[in-house]
Amino acid sequence: MRKAARLTVLACLFTLVAAMPALAGKLDDIKSRGTLVAGVKDSQRPFGFVDEKTNQIVGFEIDLMQALATRLNAKLELKPVTSSTRIPMLTQGAVDIVAATMTHKKEREDQIDFSITYFMTGQKLLVKKDGGIKSVADLAGKKVGSVKGSTSEQNVKKAQPDCTVISFETYPEAFLALKQGKVQAVTTDESILVGIKNSDDKPEAWDIVGEYISPEPYGLGVAENDSDFRDFVNAALMDMWEKGEYQKIYDKWFGKTTKDYLPLTWKMELWP
Amino acid sequence: MHWDIVFRNFDYFLIGAYPKGPLGGLAMTVILAVGGIFGAFWLGLGVGLMRISKKPSLRWPAMAFIEIIRGTPLLMVVFWFYFLAPVVFGHTLPEAESALIALIVFTSAYIAEIVRAGVEALPKGQMEAARGTGLSHFQAMTHIILPQALFNMIPSFVNQFVSLTKDTSLAFIIGVNELTKAATQVNNRTLTAPTEIFITIAVLYFVICYCLTEFSRYLERRINRYQARGR
Repeated sequence: MRKAARLTVLACLFTLVAAMPALAGKLDDIKSRGTLVAGVKDSQRPFGFVDEKTNQIVGFEIDLMQALATRLNAKLELKPVTSSTRIPMLTQGAVDIVAATMTHKKEREDQIDFSITYFMTGQKLLVKKDGGIKSVADLAGKKVGSVKGSTSEQNVKKAQPDCTVISFETYPEAFLALKQGKVQAVTTDESILVGIKNSDDKPEAWDIVGEYISPEPYGLGVAENDSDFRDFVNAALMDMWEKGEYQKIYDKWFGKTTKDYLPLTWKMELWP
Repeated sequence: MHWDIVFRNFDYFLIGAYPKGPLGGLAMTVILAVGGIFGAFWLGLGVGLMRISKKPSLRWPAMAFIEIIRGTPLLMVVFWFYFLAPVVFGHTLPEAESALIALIVFTSAYIAEIVRAGVEALPKGQMEAARGTGLSHFQAMTHIILPQALFNMIPSFVNQFVSLTKDTSLAFIIGVNELTKAATQVNNRTLTAPTEIFITIAVLYFVICYCLTEFSRYLERRINRYQARGR
């Protein structure tokens, strides 16, 4: 009982923190500070990860943030975030913007705002080549690996009620289970599956199959109710796309010559 | 086996991106552990002495502090503290500092209880005799009681400090780049060598903890020499 009371107090305090309003406009903050603080992933190839040679955080989202910082005449400062810290860090002001493979979801709109979609992917299946699984329909009676608490876990269950979902802590573990035959498929965003597949010793032994089980549009997270900053970010993204800068960055990380080849099949929403 | 991945990233496990970037890896773990031990010892000693005080104005806050902290998981203390700091201090604390403070606060509650047990385990006559010679309560504590009690507490302290050293791995939840985080980063990039990477990390943790216990044994032997003479 006493512990429950304590937890309630802590929860109240936490809500207080989360509810703190954004103070001045971010745009002015960044300009006076001279730095753009971006929350990024540090272990999600190729979006944001630690480079083996230089030991620095690099990746698609980091280059995107660099392009944004250049447009703000600011230096870029990176702060690693995780899926559990990225939203609180944004609401609390520890970061100005979050570029961390975050799917734009309605329920997240309660706490933060999103930019337009800067990366479009969807949930697919990673399976053994010639293993007989071609789509979600083939998963009936099979075991599927995913990650705890992810939307992929719930989506696949909805798409194929006859499969058993086994949830792991991280994707490497789910992939290990696939290799050892404990599950017959691993499911999550295609962009992540590509990274997993190509990190293996024999990428050709695996296949990414099926239609999108669910769409996963990634948006940049910005503080709630700061429309000046959000406008700037949206305009910058569209400008990058129109000038071909976006495509250049995309090719650097997902192009034909890279390990994580993923054709660019969607178009950014461009306002006239 | 892919031990080459471990060899290629070993410098990253040890110092992170330093000197071209922020310090991380094992170095950060050691900083958190040493800072945590130092801070938790002094804070814990203070709270422990407050806890055994006869004055309710000192005893009650100490008791409340100990009970609240002991009833909360460390993971939560680390996580909450990071997000509460801006309310308390008015600005966000850097991740490493925030984790360090959380570790100090958490461990000090346990240290306080060790201090209480150690002091209460001494025969009452020690304090009475010390006061009888004309020493004040404070003098008796610092010159007579604590030197004896602290020696008896060493094994319990070491236990707590080893535990603290391993607890630094929880700092990864708020993005502090310590050993566990560095390992996760490398593992998620390569994906092919989880066993090798985490064996290496376990060995590194063992090495620092073993150094700590060895140091305490050395300390005990050293103090024992003087003790034996006195008894």
